[in-house]
Amino acid sequence: MPRFARFTLAALLVWLAVIPAARSESVERIRVEGELIDTWCYVTEIMYARGSAHYQCAVWCAVGGIPVSIRAADGTLYVVLRIEDDTQNVSNPAVVRIQSHQVTVDGDLIRRDGVNYLLVTQVADDEGIVDLTHEKFGIQPWGM
Amino acid sequence: MIRLSVPLLVLLSFLSAGPVAAAQKWGIDGEMTAQFEAKVVDLLCELNGDCPAGCGAGKRQLGLLRDDGRLLIAVKSNTLFAGATLDLLPYCGERVEVDGLIITHPAMVIYMLQKHRRPGDADWVQATSFAKDWKKRNGSPDAKRWFRRDPAVKDVIGEFGKVGRPDLVPPPAE
Repeated sequence: MPRFARFTLAALLVWLAVIPAARSESVERIRVEGELIDTWCYVTEIMYARGSAHYQCAVWCAVGGIPVSIRAADGTLYVVLRIEDDTQNVSNPAVVRIQSHQVTVDGDLIRRDGVNYLLVTQVADDEGIVDLTHEKFGIQPWGM
Repeated sequence: MIRLSVPLLVLLSFLSAGPVAAAQKWGIDGEMTAQFEAKVVDLLCELNGDCPAGCGAGKRQLGLLRDDGRLLIAVKSNTLFAGATLDLLPYCGERVEVDGLIITHPAMVIYMLQKHRRPGDADWVQATSFAKDWKKRNGSPDAKRWFRRDPAVKDVIGEFGKVGRPDLVPPPAE
């Protein structure tokens, strides 16, 4: 092998060993059906955080900038980072207005370090609030 | 060679483990106090390459990129019912030292931010930027019960009711 080629190959190997590879997240196109929920209250389980019982609190948290997720029927959570062309994912007025709704969305799923991040490309269906949990649990938290 | 006593070795190993975590536990299943340094990143930028200036000026969820490459989503601050974006925004793209809770749930792993500071700073800052910003935006001296007074909340609850549907009657107060 010519000397210049050997030097180039050695330099390339050193570069590969020293410089960390740029992280490239894999993206999977999926359709998700589920309820928009408040991520904090649901994950911490400090109260009953689903359906109409938790609607008011879910609105508080969405306005307060806590991430909104979609909870699928199997319990999988998808953190919503984009709604169609709208990239505001903190206190997004459009998301606040459909908090606790049962929705069907298409989107790009990115999994990383124990979290499913979802970039919604289309809200295919919105059934409104169908999980009438207030009949059993009242209003969570603190009653009225 | 210097010989170290066992108690001294124990003391040194304790000190080398870093500062004692001071985060307040909430009694949540899967919680762990966690004080560490990380880089503050805009999640959409980190995951998808969509990178506006200044991490989206408070309109983007932010994360903590740890030195081992793990990414934590910061979901909650020390203001009731409020997220951590405004607390982390001043550190966008830079390093921060945080104190709070990592909560590991079967559905996902999250971080609750309680305090933060620039690495090397002596004083911690309580993660209550949302309350301070809310007071400024709403001209109110008190943000303790901001969620009861917030105009955006009032609009939505006024339209849809406390259980989210005007056709449904909320249960009586407890």
